[in-house]
Order: sequence, then C-alpha cells, then structure tokens
Amino acid sequence: MSGHPGGVLGAFRQIDAATDAVRELKEMGYEDFTVYSPVPNHEIELAVGHKVSPVRMWTLLGGLAGVTTGFWMSLWMSYDWPLVVGGKPIGSVIPYVVIAFELTVLFGAIATLAGVVFHSWRTAKPAAFDGRFTDDMIGIFVPCRPDRRNAVKSLMESSGAAEVRLEA
Amino acid sequence: MATAAPPQPTTRPTYADVTRDVFATLGNPTKTWYILFGFVLSVLAVGVIALLYQVRMGLGVAGYTPPVMWGAYIATFVFWVGIAHSGTLISAILYLFRSAWRTSVYRTAEAMTVFAVLTAGLFPLIHVGRIWYAYWLFPYPNQRMLWVNFKSPLVFDVFAVSTYLTVSTLFLIVGLIPDIAAIREKATGWRKKLYTITALGWRGTDQQWRHYTRAYLYMAALATPLVLSVHSVVSWDFAVSIVPGWHATIFAPYFVAGAIYSGVAMVITLIVPLRKAFKMERYIRVEHFENLSKLLLLTGMIVAYAYVIEYFIAWYSGNPFERASFWNRAFGDYWWATWTMITCNMFLPFFLFFQKIRRSIPALFVLSLFVNLGMWFERFVIIVVSLSFEYEPYAMGHYTPSWVEFAILAGSFAWFFMWFLLFAKNFPTVSITEVKEIIPLPRKKDAHA
Amino acid sequence: MSDGMNRRRFLKVLGVAGGGTAALSGCSTDRVEKLVPYLVPPQDQVPGVATWYASTCGECEAGCGLHVRVREGRAVKVEGNPDHPVNRGKLCSRGQASLQGLYNPDRVRGPMARTADGWEAISWDDAIARVVSELGSVDPSRVWFLSGSETGSFGRMIDAWLAAAGANPRVVYEPFAYEALRHANRTIFGIDAIPHFDFANAHVVVSFGTDFLETWLSPVQHARDFADGHAFHEGRMGKFIHVEPRMSMTGMNADEWVAPIPGTEALIALAMTNAIVDGQLATVPSDISRVRGLIDAHTPDAVADRCGVDAETIRRLAREFAAEASLAVAGGVAAQHSQAHITAQAVNLLNYVAGNIGRTVRFDADQARGASRYQEVARLASAMGSGQVGVLFTHAANPVFASPAASGFTDAYQQVGFKVSFARFMDETAALSDLILPDHDPLEQWNDVEPRTGHHALQQPVMRPVFDTRQTGDVLIRVAQQMGGGMASVTQAATFKDHLQGEWRTLQQRLGDRRDFTAFWNASLQAGGVWADAPAQQVRLATGASSFTDVPVWNAATGENFTLIAFPSLAIHDGRGANRPWLQELPDPVSKITWGTWVEMHPETAAEHEIHDGDILEVTTPNGTVSAPAFLYPGVRPDTIAMPLGQGHTSFGRYAEGTGANVYSLLSGEIAGFGGLSFYATATVVKTRGHQMLATNAGRSRQMGRGIAQAVLLGELTGEVEHEEEHADHAAPVPEHIEEVLDAWQESQYEEMEQGDYAADNPRWAMAIDLSRCTGCSACVTACHSENNIPIVGPELMRRGREMSWIRIERYFEGGEHGEPLETRVLPMTCQQCTNAPCEPVCPVYAAYHTPDGLNGQIYNRCVGTRYCGNNCPYKVRYFNWFDFAKEGEPFHAFPEPLNWQLNPDITVRTKGVMEKCTFCVQRIRAKQDQAVLADRELEDGEIMTACQQTCPSHAIVFGDLNDPTSRVSQLSQEERGYHVLEGLNTRPAITYLKKVRNVAEA
Repeated sequence: MSGHPGGVLGAFRQIDAATDAVRELKEMGYEDFTVYSPVPNHEIELAVGHKVSPVRMWTLLGGLAGVTTGFWMSLWMSYDWPLVVGGKPIGSVIPYVVIAFELTVLFGAIATLAGVVFHSWRTAKPAAFDGRFTDDMIGIFVPCRPDRRNAVKSLMESSGAAEVRLEA
Repeated sequence: MATAAPPQPTTRPTYADVTRDVFATLGNPTKTWYILFGFVLSVLAVGVIALLYQVRMGLGVAGYTPPVMWGAYIATFVFWVGIAHSGTLISAILYLFRSAWRTSVYRTAEAMTVFAVLTAGLFPLIHVGRIWYAYWLFPYPNQRMLWVNFKSPLVFDVFAVSTYLTVSTLFLIVGLIPDIAAIREKATGWRKKLYTITALGWRGTDQQWRHYTRAYLYMAALATPLVLSVHSVVSWDFAVSIVPGWHATIFAPYFVAGAIYSGVAMVITLIVPLRKAFKMERYIRVEHFENLSKLLLLTGMIVAYAYVIEYFIAWYSGNPFERASFWNRAFGDYWWATWTMITCNMFLPFFLFFQKIRRSIPALFVLSLFVNLGMWFERFVIIVVSLSFEYEPYAMGHYTPSWVEFAILAGSFAWFFMWFLLFAKNFPTVSITEVKEIIPLPRKKDAHA
Repeated sequence: MSDGMNRRRFLKVLGVAGGGTAALSGCSTDRVEKLVPYLVPPQDQVPGVATWYASTCGECEAGCGLHVRVREGRAVKVEGNPDHPVNRGKLCSRGQASLQGLYNPDRVRGPMARTADGWEAISWDDAIARVVSELGSVDPSRVWFLSGSETGSFGRMIDAWLAAAGANPRVVYEPFAYEALRHANRTIFGIDAIPHFDFANAHVVVSFGTDFLETWLSPVQHARDFADGHAFHEGRMGKFIHVEPRMSMTGMNADEWVAPIPGTEALIALAMTNAIVDGQLATVPSDISRVRGLIDAHTPDAVADRCGVDAETIRRLAREFAAEASLAVAGGVAAQHSQAHITAQAVNLLNYVAGNIGRTVRFDADQARGASRYQEVARLASAMGSGQVGVLFTHAANPVFASPAASGFTDAYQQVGFKVSFARFMDETAALSDLILPDHDPLEQWNDVEPRTGHHALQQPVMRPVFDTRQTGDVLIRVAQQMGGGMASVTQAATFKDHLQGEWRTLQQRLGDRRDFTAFWNASLQAGGVWADAPAQQVRLATGASSFTDVPVWNAATGENFTLIAFPSLAIHDGRGANRPWLQELPDPVSKITWGTWVEMHPETAAEHEIHDGDILEVTTPNGTVSAPAFLYPGVRPDTIAMPLGQGHTSFGRYAEGTGANVYSLLSGEIAGFGGLSFYATATVVKTRGHQMLATNAGRSRQMGRGIAQAVLLGELTGEVEHEEEHADHAAPVPEHIEEVLDAWQESQYEEMEQGDYAADNPRWAMAIDLSRCTGCSACVTACHSENNIPIVGPELMRRGREMSWIRIERYFEGGEHGEPLETRVLPMTCQQCTNAPCEPVCPVYAAYHTPDGLNGQIYNRCVGTRYCGNNCPYKVRYFNWFDFAKEGEPFHAFPEPLNWQLNPDITVRTKGVMEKCTFCVQRIRAKQDQAVLADRELEDGEIMTACQQTCPSHAIVFGDLNDPTSRVSQLSQEERGYHVLEGLNTRPAITYLKKVRNVAEA
C-alpha cells in the first residue's frame, strides 16, 4: 500500500502495552504517529494528549444559527404577508419558540456532523493500517526514516507489541 | 418459564468474539428471511394499493364520519412517533447517563426509531385531503407568495418530525461508522464495497476518535431534548385545540411517557425474535430484558398516573364539557376501546412488579404485544372518542375505520418491518463498538497470568 | 364604435378565441367539449352580469312571485319577488328547488311514443298528428282531460278547448285539494271557497292539525304573517296553540301542544265554542242560534274524556282565544281523517263566535283554485275502468303514484284507449301512457296564475328551453288548428303567448287601466303581475249550518292497533319534489331524516315493543303493507304513528326511484263525506330483523344542558317571572376583576394584529338570528345550496354524517319525558365567523384566515385538507369534500348534465380533499361593495343580503355591519335576548342569536 510514508506499524493486544509505547514514542520526540483502536479509549487519549476536539464550537455555532434562523424565519414570514388567524397577533413569539427550538437542534446536529467530517479530514494523516485494528488490536504507526525504524521497532516490542512490522 | 431461554454463556466474550458474532448475523439471508420479507412486501403492496385507491377516489373511502375528522391515520401517526421515542431514549439519554446495559440493545432501538419515524412521517401525508399538495406545509418561496402559518401545530409537526428524522438518522449513521469499519475488514464481494463506502474511511485513529467521541456526546445532548420535544409537539396538536379531552396541559409529559412506554414495548417485541434468530443470547442477556422491563414499568406507571389524573382533572375542573367527554370515554359508545387501553396500559404492567415476569422472556414478549395494542388504542381513544363527543350535541357522531384504513395500517407495519429486515441483514443490529467498550481491554498482567 | 370593435365583434372574437384555446390545450382532456360561443349575443345579456326575470313559481298552488337570476343565458338562482303580495321576496325550499325541475337530468327530453318494447323518440309533427288522428277517431264523449291545478289562462283555454271538442269537462287532480275545508265552508257559511287566513293580525292562533307553515295553502305567506303576529317584539308576542296527535313542524312552533285522541279535534273546537258562548267571552252573533243545540251539547266537561284533553285546559284555551284577536284553522293533510269536514265545521263555528270571520278569516280573497274534489277523480277512474274513456290527456298530475293503490286508479288508467301525457318527467302516470308530449318547465313557459281572487301573476320564460319540449298550450292550439271545424275557434292566437296577451288585454280593460297595452304588459311582466283586492264580503251562518247536529269522530284505533297519520312532507309535498336532489337531501324539519320514508313512533311505545331508531318496521293497514325504519319521536302520541307521504316512486328519475316507500298504498280509496280522501288509517306494526342507519344530520336531539338553543319565558322578559339562566357552559362565572384582565389582554392582542389591511377602517360583518321568528322551515338550507354550489351527497354519505350543507337547522327536544310537556327548539347553525376563530390558527397553510372585514375566510385552492380546522371548530360548521362531487364519472357526482347549469358562476366548485364552509355569501358582499364603489356611494344597511337571509320567510335572519352602531344587526345584537352559542369558549362569534320566547305560564 502506497499513499503513506514509510515507517513502523505495531499491533498491540494489551492496552497498557500500547499506552506505554505511545508515551515512550513521545519521549523520543515523535509527534506525528497514529494510534488505531477498535473502541474509543480514554487511556490512549490521555497518552496521546490531544486537546478537546474543536467540534464543540461547531455544535454551538450550529445551534445559535438554528435559533436565530427559527425566530427570524417565523417572524419575518409572518410580517411579510400579514394574515390574522384566531385573533392572535401577527407575529406570536410563543408558538415560534417551537420552530426556533427544532431548528436549533437540527442545525446543531448537522453542524456537529459537518465538524467531525471537517476536522477528521483536516487532522487525517497518511498512515499504514491493518484490518485487525477495528477488531481487537490497537495499532501504532510511526512514520520515520528507514535508518530509525529499527529503534522504533524495538521500542514497540519492548513495550509489549504483539507484532511489529516495517512499512516501506 | 426461564427454561425456555437458552443457557447463558458464562464467559465474557472477547473483542474478536464480538466482531465475529455480530458479523455472523450479516451475509446471505436464510429462507425464513426471504419468506418473511416476501410476506412483508405483499402486505405493503396491499397498503399501497389501498392508498392509491384513496388518492384516486378521495378520502371518503376511509371511515371518517364527521365530526370525527381525524381517525385511524392520525392515531397511527402518533403511535409510530411514539414507538420512535424509546430508541433515542436508550441511545441518547441513557448514553448521557452512562448506562452500560444499553450498549447491546441500543442499535436495534435506534434503527427502530429511524424506521418508526419514517413510517410515522407517511401518515400526515396519507391523511390529508390533497396529498399532492402536502409540500405546501414547508416554508418555501412559492408562486402564491405565501408562507406557512407558524402558529399551527401542524407546522410545528413538520419541523419536529423532520428534525427528528434527520437527527435520529444522523445519530444512527454516526454510531454505525466504527461498526461498519469493523465488518468491512471481514466482508467480501459487494458487501465489502458497500461497507467500504459507508464506513466513510473510518480507521479508528486517535484523531478520528477524538472528534468522534465529542461529536457523539453533543449529538446525544441535542437528541435528548429533541426526543422529549417531539412527542410534546405532537401532543400539542391536541393540547392547543379546544376539543374537550384534548385541551389539557398534562398532554406533553403524558405523551412523552406514553411514547417511551410504547417504544420500549416495541424494542422488546423486536429484540426477542431477533436475539433468537441471530443467536445473540450472549450479548442480549436476561439482565437487559429486566432493565427494559423496569423502564416499561416506570413509564407504564407514569402513563397510569396520567390516565388517573386526566379523569381527576376532568372532574375537578368542573368543566361540564370535559366531564361529559370523559364520561363518554368510559361509558359511551367507545367504552370497549377505552377499557382495552386501560387494561393493556394500566393494569397489565402491574405484572412487572414480579421479578419472575421481568426475567421471563416469553412473558415479556406477550406483555409487550399487549402494550403495543393498548398504546394504539390510547391514541384512538384520545383522537376519535374525544372528537366524536365535542361541544355541539347535534353534531356528535360515530366513527368506524374502513377497510382502507386497516389496509394502510397493516401496510405501515409492513413498511416498518421491510426496513427493519433489510437493515438487520446488512448492518449490525448489535453495536460492535459499544459492546466492546464495556469489555475491558486485556492488560499485560492478564497475559502473564 | 368607430374603431370597428363593438361589443358584438368582441364577443365573436372571444367565442372563437375560446374555441381555439380549448382546441390547443388538448393535453388537459381528451374529451371534446361542446362549446357555445356567443356569435349572436342576446341583447340583454352581458357576460358576468346577471339578469333578473320576474315570474311565478309553479311548484305549488300558492303562486309565489319569483325573481330568477340568469347568467349567460342560464337560470342560476330562484328567489322571491319582493313586490309580490303573496311571498314578498321570500321563497320556500320547494320554490327554490324549481331550478332542479328545470335542469333535472331525468326530464323527458322530447316527444316519445310507446312501442312494443319501450319508447321511441318521435318528432313534434308526428306527435301532434297522432293526437289529431286519435281525437278524430273517437267519440268526443270519450275524451277526458286530467290536469293539475291551473288557475289562469291556460286552464281556461283547456276548458274552452274541451268544450269546443265536445269532450268531458276537465278534471283537476291535486292530492291535497282541501275538500274538507271547502265542504265545511259550504255547510256553515254557504260559500264554496277557501278564505284568506290572516295570521299577521291574530294574537292567538289555534291550529287543529293544520300544517300552515309547511304545505297548507300558502306556507311562505303564512310563515311571514305568523312570525309577524307571533314573534316577540317590544315586550309583546302572540300565542300559538297546536292541537294535533302528532307535532308537525308547525306544531313545533307552538307555545302549547295539545295532543288529543286522533280524530277528536272537532270536539275540542266545539267545547271551546261552548265555553265562549256560555261564558259570554265574546259578542256572539245572534244567528248562532241555528247551531245552539250542537254547541250546548258539547261542554268542555262532556268532551274531555272523549278527546283526552281535560276540561280546564279547554276552558283556558277558550278564554285565551276570546280575549284577543284570534284565529283558528283546521285542515291540512295531516288532519284529513274521514271526519275532517266536521273538524273544519266546528272550527268555523269557533271562529264565528269569536268574531274572526271577516277579520282574520277573509272570504273575499278566495284561494280555492279550482281543484276537483277527489270524488270527481274517482268518477273518472270508474269511467276508465269500464272502458268508457277513449282518449285521456294528463297534464301535471300523477294520480298513478299520488292516489291510494286501493282506489284502483292505476288499473283503470290502463283501460284507456289512448293515453296522452304532457309530463315533464317520466313519472308513474307518464310511464303508463302511450304518448308523451313533454311540456316546458314553468321557468321556460308563458302562463299566468290567479292564486287568489284579484291576484294575477305572470309566468315568463327566463331562458331558452333546455330540451326539445313544447308548451302544452301551444300543442293544444296546433291540435285545434289541425282538427279544424269548431275547434279552430278555441283561440285566434297562433301561439299560447299571443293567447295569453289576448287574455291580458281583457284583464286590462276589466281593471280599467288606460295605458297602452305594451306598457301595461311590460309593467306587469316586470312586477310579476297585477294585484287588486277583492271587495269585502259579509259572511253569516248559512241556513244549511243547522244541519250540523252531530259530531262523529274518526274511529280511534284500539288495542294493538295504531292510528297511522300520513302527513305531507314539507320538501317532497305529495311526491312531486322527490326528483329534486336538494329536496331529497333537505332534512325533514321534524325528524331530520333525508332520502326516505320513516315511521314516527313515541319512545315509550317503542320501548314497549323494543324498537330502536332505524329498526325496520312493517306497517300494515287493511290496504297494504309498507316497510320503513323507525324514528322515535316524542312528538307523537303513544297510540299513534306517522309516516310522510311522497316517497317510494317507481318511476320518477334517479333521485326518486327506490327512495323510501309509498305511503299512499296504505291509504283507503274510500271517499269520505266531504268528497276527499282520508289520510288516516288503522295500522298494525311488526318489527322486522332489519335495521337501517337513519340518513339524518342529527347527532343528538337533546342539548345536554349546553344552552345551544336557548329560550326564555315571556314572563321573564316582562319581569313577571324570575329570570333563570339555563345554560351551563361554565360551572362558575368568571370573577369580574379577572374578566377585566382577560379583556385587557385580549385588546392588546387585537392591537398587535393591526397590520396591513387590518389597520384600515373595516366593517365587521355579523348576523342576528331571532329564534322567536325562526320556524325551522329550512328554506335557508336550500337557498344556501343554490347560492353556494353545495353538492348533494346522497343517502349513503348522509348516514356517515358527510352532508355538505353549510347551514343546518338544529332541532332539539326539551322535556317530553316523565309527563313534562314536549318543547322543540330549532336553531339555524352556520359558521359563526368567530373573532377568535379556533379553526384559523391551526391551519398550517393559511387556508382558513380572518379577513379584515371580520369574515372567517376559507381559501379552497390553498387548502391541503388536514381537517384540523374541522376538529377545532366547536360549532362543527366546516364541511369536507370526501369525494369529487363535481366531477363527472365519480361515484358521488352531484351535478349530472344539465344539473350543472344551476351552478353559480360567482363561486368555485370545490374539488375533493378541501374543506368548505359558509362565509356569509362573501361573493354577494363583494358584489355589492363593488357596485357601491363604482357608483361612488356608501353601502346602505340591509343592502347586502346573504342567501339564507334573502329567502327566510319569517325574517329571522338579519345581516349587516356590526361596526356601524345604527345598523339593524348592531341594534339586535344589543337586545336583552341576545346570546352567543358556547359563549364560554371566548370564540366571540359574529352571530348573535336572540332567544326563543315561550308564551307559557311556566317552564
């Protein structure tokens, strides 16, 4: 598989083995490695040390856009062609809360999804992959020059990797 | 009764077991599946023919008898929207509450939600007089230069139901992505292609999980008020009107509780045969059923409370119309519908106080069917019986659904099960990822032992 | 016009362009439509502008004046002629449904001759030749002519024609011929006439079974007069007592219903006479001595047991009757038992001693109208039966249907050598004929009528004939011309119109009118006729009155037998209305049943026999058996059952055939002492296993204490009795300080809707409906159907409650149980045009919205059909199009060609799937507003009339602008009696009902 830089791909069975490897890699100064796991794992997250995902801003902005759109749309459309129904004011804010609320959720959810797609795409790194990483193994891929690969490989093995292979 | 359940495997499944077992449920369908699917399609065809007939002839082929202007269709609409609710409850609300037992049932519940909303959404269309103009309910710049009436609860419905459909579908899809990635690696042939595309390039990298887990949390946070709002909005179709028997402030919580109640019952109805067919006993355990039945009991008691309170308020308010309406419910022409509803929804759940019943899968299955029936009748009673007995004595009437309505009702079940059967055979009905999440990953010390 | 584009040219272009467009737009329909372009436009037709023609109603003998609205050459609405003395602009349901006689799809479309296997269309020349040859080959003494009532030139021409031919005198057949009344007038006063009854000036009216608001003599006039004389006005009102074993619609309007043992009305009338004479309650004329013995023998105490009414009641009635200007009436089909003439004689005496003759009973205005007594029809039947009739002409009479089967008319009719019918419809008599020469509809022909002495009313064609029919007068002239000889002298005129004008020349001379004839003729045509009052007449007891000595009563049924009363239907009449879908679908004012026959039975009797509403009963009399569903009615005596006449046609078109059962077949053919038939019979009832849902629009007949139709005692209004609020739509009243806050909040809401058009100075259309005037006659219902293109739905959908009528007359029973007196209330219920309309805000697409002038608008094209508005309307006055009623080929198509010609072009015909409702005839409002704008003037109060208001015979409905404090509707809305239905819902309706006032001592 081309499309990714050469490096070392390690597969781990134990979680603490994988997190140990991550920590040591970081100590060695590696930053752009990729950790695969079949489930989200807090320990890996801590070991890698990411900041909180910016997706939450998308949710917030989406929600705010929704509430604004909801009120603006219902009020503007009411006054655009004023028709009286049931002796009520043309623009009645109370019922329009429902519209605003629904749009808040709708826009918020769509924006969140868009955020995931956007940020996952932005932060995606080319890396080698193995199908077992979605099944029961944790994978670490460290892109590195061929001359340093053996050092990384032995680091992983010593941390408890089940399998380490060099990727061209 | 517990003898009917197969022996429970005692050892914890490993990650590999989970992937393997769930993957085993997919793949080429069995003969039984084809028979079921064929049956479902033929019932759906009957429903579609009935609908076409109705569109051609006019709504008069349904049983409507003024003053009952809404009948079985709206009852069925509310029924399906209600069914949808437990899915989101289990997947979103229990997620926020970190309730671990949800993991093995939530996918089924969530899929049920989406298909139930998909079914429910048809009914407002089926019930309108001019289905071909139903798109007028959306606010779009039309040549009539006219917007929609945002004060109408039906416009609320348009927004609530379409938002709910969108968000619950997104939620389902988002939850599915890591699972599809997992089965992608095992699948072959066209399925491999399908899963490769639908996995959206998921590999489970640290960055992906970083954004994904946050997004899932926020979506759950958004879905939680949404699920509470949708049935509240549906209840306002009734509560904001002035029809005696509809015009009640209790409706929103009452409907939400009822919705979850019926939804949980439907989850049980679906999971019992599914578990058997897919041999999922190892993942969907009696404890899960017990938890579901506790949820059923809780919501059932809320519903029972609401029933009692409705009658109490009708009496306590002193409003003669309200009193008459409720008297008519219990002892009028439709007493049988009311008592069916009360028996199924209020009395039968009391059996759930017995642990033996809670842990007996056949008993739960039968009970869930009764609750489904009772909840359909609840909507029938609220809608039809209230309308048949309003203010004007001279304009009171009696409605009975026609064969067209029954055919379309049956067709709606077929439509729902068609989606469900397709889904169950092609996508994991038990969440691979989330089931794995509650299994601790092996540690080095385990290997030494 | 000099530029060469005159109106005629423009229309020519329009017609061709219209044709071209239709040819080009072939994608819309494959069917080639028949186009009638205006190549030669009639002089007085402007497209889009209605023309009105005055004419006279031909539906019954009352002779009401018409104004027919014609659009683009087609009559689209029939209204009353305001200048006509009989109906003064008002019209009953039947009169309005005359439009459906004109456009009836089952009309005979051209001359037809019977062949061995059915009917053959022939030409008019051939048809007339056949008549001439038959007439020539038969002895004149074997020629007979049977007609309906014809009081004008046409009747006289037939008579002259028959005389010239040497034939037998004309026999006039009207099933309801008032023989008993005429007999009694002859006996008591020596006058063979029917007087004019002045209900307007009678403060106390006692009706002995007379349905004067339904079918009796001149119901529209009676309704107006009765309302004027009886309704509450400025602290006063009349009193009406109805004496009949069955409470008819007329009886429903009574303040007091007295239900005697059937057939004993005469005893009550005589006992009242006795009480008046005895108690010297009135100045009794001296010649009463002629019948002194009779009166003395019938004291209230003597008759009380025989008639089932206690003596004290009779005495009280007599006191009330004698105290004020009063009127007693007797007769009507529902009271026509074999001793009906005795009742009428006794009532004549009652009126006589109370001094009413010459005051409220005026013999100068004879309404006898020349119908033969039934015994003459029976003589014709026996002549036919014995083969003595060679040629029989029938015109506008259907005795094969509308006479008792036991009379043998049908069999006898078939013995006639050559039967010529001038029928417009293939009715039962026409179906047995040899030749049918279809007459024009009254709206297509020239004629005149004299409904009462001195009233000459003209009929003129309002449009070209719909079918290949010919006016019978013209046919008779042609036959006479071809016969030659003495017959040629029947008339000098070439056409019947000329003949009619000749008659009117004579009339003009008689009236001493000095104008040029054309001026006189045109003025008369425009006014609808000429009216003169007959000179007053002194009426005394005739010498023959002394022969009135004994009072035989109709043999009351005993044991398991019931008295069967066959009563005339307000809508179907004697059966001639049965082919008019509007009339079939008009809920009977009493039973509220449409499309059929029913058996009225007292609920207690029914309970004894375990009979429920809709159970099929077999009613058997010595003359036959009829099956019909039961209708439990507390307004009929427990020993009596009642059935409506007129249904059960075997041949009368699609709407009549197979609908209901023929009650004539239960009647005896025996001729009573007064020369007519008895409409009473002794019957047994058997409950069958059958059950049929009643095709009714009534949900429940009890108000459940909801105060929908409210009433107040007269004493409460005058302060003599303490006032009680009877409605209970709120458990407790809202405290005043809360009411203030609510009102302030409401006002603030209203301020916030002052946007765009709503900010302008708009009228607020409103209605006031006076329930003390409304009789429940339902003329408004038909008016609304006609004005607003409302489809009829048929019996099947009526059973499902899917009627489309925008206005319904709700009929509620009060009391009538546990020995309480029965009271009936009626209330016209239509859209209340609420200010806070609950239907409006729930519509997602603004199809229901509030117009700036306060109407609850409904935009059909915008409606998607969610029906939420229908649910949320507390008054249930929104109607949904369940099917495509207006589309050809659909199962519930309501307007089969040419019935669609009746459609009002000002109103959309609604499609399936949309909601429709009353909008106070918004098209009429806009038309008048536009006229006012064009003329640059203000609208006047009362200028705009809704269709229901326009036709209401009793002036119960007033429409106008509530924002104008001087308008009538504003003033009526302020009346003490005013209330809104379901006021507690805060819907703020625009319709104010004025409570019914009951002139009884206590509730």
